[in-house]
Amino acid sequence: MAAAAATAATKGNGGGSGRVGAGDSSGARKKKGPGPVATAYLVIYNVVMTAGWLVIAVGLVRAYLAKGSYHSLYYSIERPLKFFQTGALLEILHCAIGIVPSSVVLTSFQVMSRVFLIWAVTHSVKEVQSEDSVLLFVIAWTITEIIRYSFYTFSLLNHLPYIIKWARYTLFIVLYPMGVTGELLTIYAALPFVRQAGLYSISLPNKYNFSFDYHAFLILIMISYIPLFPQLYFHMIHQRRKVLSHTEEHKKFE
Amino acid sequence: MKHYEVEIRDAKTREKLCFLDKVEPQATISEIKTLFTKTHPQWYPARQSLRLDPKGKSLKDEDVLQKLPVGTTATLYFRDLGAQISWVTVFLTEYAGPLFIYLLFYFRVPFIYGRKYDFTSSRHTVVHLACMCHSFHYIKRLLETLFVHRFSHGTMPLRNIFKNCTYYWGFAAWMAYYINHPLYTPPTYGVQQVKLALAVFVICQLGNFSIHMALRDLRPAGSKTRKIPYPTKNPFTWLFLLVSCPNYTYEVGSWIGFAILTQCVPVALFSLVGFTQMTIWAKGKHRSYLKEFRDYPPLRMPIIPFLL
Repeated sequence: MAAAAATAATKGNGGGSGRVGAGDSSGARKKKGPGPVATAYLVIYNVVMTAGWLVIAVGLVRAYLAKGSYHSLYYSIERPLKFFQTGALLEILHCAIGIVPSSVVLTSFQVMSRVFLIWAVTHSVKEVQSEDSVLLFVIAWTITEIIRYSFYTFSLLNHLPYIIKWARYTLFIVLYPMGVTGELLTIYAALPFVRQAGLYSISLPNKYNFSFDYHAFLILIMISYIPLFPQLYFHMIHQRRKVLSHTEEHKKFE
Repeated sequence: MKHYEVEIRDAKTREKLCFLDKVEPQATISEIKTLFTKTHPQWYPARQSLRLDPKGKSLKDEDVLQKLPVGTTATLYFRDLGAQISWVTVFLTEYAGPLFIYLLFYFRVPFIYGRKYDFTSSRHTVVHLACMCHSFHYIKRLLETLFVHRFSHGTMPLRNIFKNCTYYWGFAAWMAYYINHPLYTPPTYGVQQVKLALAVFVICQLGNFSIHMALRDLRPAGSKTRKIPYPTKNPFTWLFLLVSCPNYTYEVGSWIGFAILTQCVPVALFSLVGFTQMTIWAKGKHRSYLKEFRDYPPLRMPIIPFLL
């Protein structure tokens, strides 16, 4: 869900910078944050993740050039995508132990929604893997994550290039709608196969006296995008105005 | 005799809302709230939060003006707590919902289980027993709200009722759906499981009621004196020896009994969620007992003897 990245932007998920607005405009200002060991670990983590998503990006490009078509590119990046997206679960841990000043609940929601899409939808319903919609969210995620993780890396090192910051607060305008569209279309494409196979569903009668309809659950998830996406998208736009205008003000005083 | 002047300002905008002159030194915050209501009737006393700092803690109704750290001109900051609703109304609403909602499923009203099951009855004895237990539980709560409990704080924000009712009514509907479902599967171990579970349920309900009565008798009506609760002659109150909030212990026990009786996952989940919430409340209560009473019995734990 693009929502994941949208909220992460303001919370400093995965990075130690935390306060995006105030911290970014003045590198000289002292920031409260993790200690040196935690910082070193976080730098390594963010570098590895940046590299990981770059591998996925390069994989996509090479596969496209080799095939001459964008259909079914998912198969060429499936494994690293699963690995690095699932690896993001560590970010929940980072928040929980306090080396990253973000909400555990918020971070969990962001990461789990993506892990869910990867494993419970795309991985589980083989038929959707060749859908173009998968490519839509994979490309959106890849670009977003390369920017996000490099943003955190540079922030932790107290040397954030303007181009990275600009990219962080500008490209989402296109990437989030693109990602969300891909996510929704993928879930939608999975629905008939889920219903047909009774995937991950429990029916009555059984001794637990409980039932679960995965098909209905997926529909519920799709519906939940309606209230959630606009909220996060416009929050990011608001954040953009704040952050990029800080830079302008900063320049005026120089 | 010296009089005070009280200025009341909006906590957010700092706008001056009211100026009271010639206020008695012994005036309580409650009385000041009443005076404030005269000029601003829409903010009745229960929805006023008055504090010394804009973001400070609310002053208590019984606080006396001359004992506050203010000069002869006191400035108080007002915040609107929103529409208020009495605790009795809240609890009656919260508990009446589950009672009636459950019965809708029990009687299998149309649109729930399919046309051919409309107004039919379950063929399992345990389902009827479960309905009796569930109804008894909520009727007991309703009656306790009316005749047993005393509520220290008069009101609660209106908006909270929607959250609370969603929780109680939602879970009631969820468990009722499965317990009364035509494809319901009776407990694995049959009559023995039902009997054991029923015994647990009944004992815990009696225990819960006994604790509520003991807590009620701890203080006279209208009083705000706080005392350490102790066991009485009633054996069910002896759990006070080991636990600060035995009412919660028994409550959780009741739901565990009901979960075993029905062998239904949503009931188990409701028990788990309830246990989590009650543990939080119990720990808070336990902490406040320890803070308030130097001689508080050291053997007691918040909700589970020796453990938690």
